[in-house]
Amino acid sequence: MTRSSKKRLNTILIEIVLITVSFIFIMPIILAITMSLQPPESVFSFPPKFFPTAFHWKNYVDAFNTVPFARLILNSAIIAVMITGGKIITGTLAGYAFANFKFRGRSFAFSFLFATLFLPAETIMILPLFNLMNKLGWVNTYWAMTIPFMASATNTFLFRQHFMSIPSSLEDSARIDGAGPMTYFIKILLPLSKAIIGGATIINFVYSWNMYLWPLIITMEDKMKTVQIGVRMLISAESANNWGIIMAGTMIAVLPTLLLFFTLQDLFVRSLVRSGIKE
Amino acid sequence: MKKLFVVFLLLALVATLSLAKVKIQFWHAMGGWRIDFLAQQAEKFNATHPDIEVQVQYTGSYRDTLNKLIVSVQAGAAPHVVQVFDVGTQIMVDGGIAVPVGDLMANDPTFDLGKFLPQVLSYYRVNGKLYSMPFNSSNAILYYNKTIFKEAGLDPDKPPRTFEEFKEAARTITKYYQGNVVGFGFNLHSWFFEQLMAAQSAPMCDNNNGRTGRPTKAVFNNEAGLKIFEWLNDMKKEGTMIETKVEDWTGARNLFISQKAAMLLSSTSDVALMMNASKENGFEFGTAFLPTPADAPAGGAVIGGGSLWIIGGHPDKEIQAAWEFVKFMADTEQQIEWHKATGYFPVRKDAVEQLLFSGYYAQYPDHLTALMQLMLSEQNYNARGAIIGAYPEIRTAVEQNLEKMFGGELTPAEALKRAEEAATRAIKEYNEVY
Amino acid sequence: MLPLLHAGGVSMRKLYPYLLLIPTFVIIIMFIYYPAGSALKLSLYKTSPFGNRTIYVGLRNFRQLFEDPEYLYAVRFTLIYVSVSVAITIFMSFIIAYMLTRGVPGTRIYRTFLFAPYAVSPAIAGTLWTFLLNPVVGHVNYFFAKLFGIQVAWLTSKPYAFYALIFATVWKMLPFDMIFYIASIQDVSLDIIEASTLDGANTMTRVWRIIFPLVSPITFYLVIMNIVTTMFSSFAIVDVMTSGGPGGYTTNMIYKLYLDAFTFQKRGPAAAESMIMFAIMLVVTIIYFSFAERKVHYQ
Repeated sequence: MTRSSKKRLNTILIEIVLITVSFIFIMPIILAITMSLQPPESVFSFPPKFFPTAFHWKNYVDAFNTVPFARLILNSAIIAVMITGGKIITGTLAGYAFANFKFRGRSFAFSFLFATLFLPAETIMILPLFNLMNKLGWVNTYWAMTIPFMASATNTFLFRQHFMSIPSSLEDSARIDGAGPMTYFIKILLPLSKAIIGGATIINFVYSWNMYLWPLIITMEDKMKTVQIGVRMLISAESANNWGIIMAGTMIAVLPTLLLFFTLQDLFVRSLVRSGIKE
Repeated sequence: MKKLFVVFLLLALVATLSLAKVKIQFWHAMGGWRIDFLAQQAEKFNATHPDIEVQVQYTGSYRDTLNKLIVSVQAGAAPHVVQVFDVGTQIMVDGGIAVPVGDLMANDPTFDLGKFLPQVLSYYRVNGKLYSMPFNSSNAILYYNKTIFKEAGLDPDKPPRTFEEFKEAARTITKYYQGNVVGFGFNLHSWFFEQLMAAQSAPMCDNNNGRTGRPTKAVFNNEAGLKIFEWLNDMKKEGTMIETKVEDWTGARNLFISQKAAMLLSSTSDVALMMNASKENGFEFGTAFLPTPADAPAGGAVIGGGSLWIIGGHPDKEIQAAWEFVKFMADTEQQIEWHKATGYFPVRKDAVEQLLFSGYYAQYPDHLTALMQLMLSEQNYNARGAIIGAYPEIRTAVEQNLEKMFGGELTPAEALKRAEEAATRAIKEYNEVY
Repeated sequence: MLPLLHAGGVSMRKLYPYLLLIPTFVIIIMFIYYPAGSALKLSLYKTSPFGNRTIYVGLRNFRQLFEDPEYLYAVRFTLIYVSVSVAITIFMSFIIAYMLTRGVPGTRIYRTFLFAPYAVSPAIAGTLWTFLLNPVVGHVNYFFAKLFGIQVAWLTSKPYAFYALIFATVWKMLPFDMIFYIASIQDVSLDIIEASTLDGANTMTRVWRIIFPLVSPITFYLVIMNIVTTMFSSFAIVDVMTSGGPGGYTTNMIYKLYLDAFTFQKRGPAAAESMIMFAIMLVVTIIYFSFAERKVHYQ
């Protein structure tokens, strides 16, 4: 077999695998869109429908009528933006400290931060955290849903790895030019990190948009709830039987992150990790 | 001049007093379109009670609502009125956070408890005291697809009454449709086990189902329990039954609505929903009492659903306002509207009378089934249903072992024995702090 | 810019890293370590649901957990669930990422499709799969019935509930890994890839032997992240899809913890469970670090 024919064979094989896998991966979402546009009587049709045959927009109207989605989307967006911003700020600062400075207690501080990965707030920590929120008077506020999540080990590591990959000669010459550590950080380091900050923004945004258990517990009024809870309200075991409406709600919750992802995917692939995570 | 000033002051005082509305929070767990319904009821209350403002919040499922209540109580930010599900009753009593509505009634000459259904009151009475106001009450009934019954050659006006008839009907239907339709769709929920136990007058736990003292062990590993387990297991093995995953109300309803299963046990609160769904999907359905083994002693229907609790720790004025609201929600007019819109039955005699005389039940007989089932119930400790603090965990024990039985890992006798052992462990663990 | 700090010179520079760390550490101490400390304390008590009764029990919560066959089963199941889903995800995401960097026609569309699950929250992922796997009207069973003539109760029978769970987990987790692999494979020099693709018969083996080790730092990172995800975030998927069933078969540690804490209102035992999870993660990480440190290939 010649090299080029072998290469062609490889390409065909790859195409087959990729078509199959990507089909399987996107299918649930396409089906959700299909379902969300079905009138109630054909949701249970057999054989099941794979592509939309009707455009029953009423499901979306009903979803909006059952749950105040407009307000919930706004809340989710506010929360996601606040958390993302907070994480980027704390993460770049701390990453800078770990990457560019040698200081007493560095490895301890690093382990101390790393261990938080294993202490997710979603578990039993919810109760003490709730009591703390109450002492601070934050129950049912945006603060409760954002500030506790504004620092994370993952973001710090991401930025640390990236900053370490930037040649130290840059820092040295900046210092010779008389720039202080903060000047170097703002004028040189951050501009060099645009891509990774972009990637981290998407990851953090999706993470906070999808938060579930904590908003469920800490919100007391509809006007503070998030989109994810809106979907849960739709599904709420004892009322809804109309899968069309549930799927419409699901699409409402998923669409913002999905669109963000589709439009920014190039930035994402190019940026993230490109220079990160290598020691 | 001075007089005028005093008059003015008095007027100002009256004005501020009347302006200062008492605000109370009401949390409930009724999702979907019922959120709007309850919001409207509260508005109606606000309109007729100008000095009180009720703020309604849907707080998620029963479990979510209870969890929220627990954290908010510990944080000192509890609502005034909260809807708690049936099995939360003992937990609420033990929590000691509620103002028993029985105490409030005693001080309210306008209130007549005699107008309430005694069956409902006796469920919610713990140690002789009424702690919460019955609001949305239900029990389990049989839904069956009349269209399928007719098609398969069964009498659509003669739903199965005994376990044996039920099995036979399921067999006939499954056979007729060659397995494309099965006889029975089972929502794997311990609630139905509890209902079927009460229907046979069999106990769940000791101390008279927890009615004469704190239960110390589970006792449902008895003949009645075994009959239920075996009945389910037989149908599973014959392929005449599909079970859903645990506590999957929606999944079970969908089996019935999509006409994949011809019979379903579900709450009477689904009646209104089923009337719409059956129309949309083009079939006719009927309702009936729960089946029992042919030789079982007469029993009763356990009250399910939820009740309204008034949470203490608020100023007297607010507690009184909360009481006004709770009274309003349990009043005749509201109970009738609620019944018609959902299928939960009214908790008052006068509401039932009004409905009966207006010919409502002649038109909607399915709304009457659960009520009749309750009226015809025996009045004894076993038929009333158990009160247990560890009920949520006991439910899981029953459900897990049913699943293991369906999976063929355990025989009905083994599954029942293990469920009882796990339930007893849960009761003992709960009692450790009391 | 900040003349004061700058003027401070060397001594100021020593202080700098601490200042930079303040925001992060204030947050994690207040909102992670302080609540975790409360949970540790709680694990030594038995409390009533509303917290009005509390008794100190020392380590009895822990002892009872280790004597509870159901809890031990949940631990075992967690180990299997975590290792299987992480292994499959790492393996598949690497292969797919490699294929996506070959520049075959349509790459952009495939990549877009493969990314999609990342945007979906675990709870919604569970909802979607629950519907697709519905034994009666679900699309997956329609396929199975057409192709193999069988009907499977995916979510309510052994061992299918486990397969369904693994499938949904991989579906949800793979895009994240894939993104990182795509980026890092693109960084591996082209010569190495070309040489390995064209030489000899067994392309895939060579890719596996040459390129996979080259991206081992990423793999190292992803394995840790995936373990964290499957240990903790799998709660929503299990809850929505199987509710831990049938018969407790798919109850993993986080789901058990959730049940004990928020369904059975057993805060003390639940707190003990969160401490056990923390300890297990710590041990796994330490072992993995010391083991992988030697294996990881740094460029």
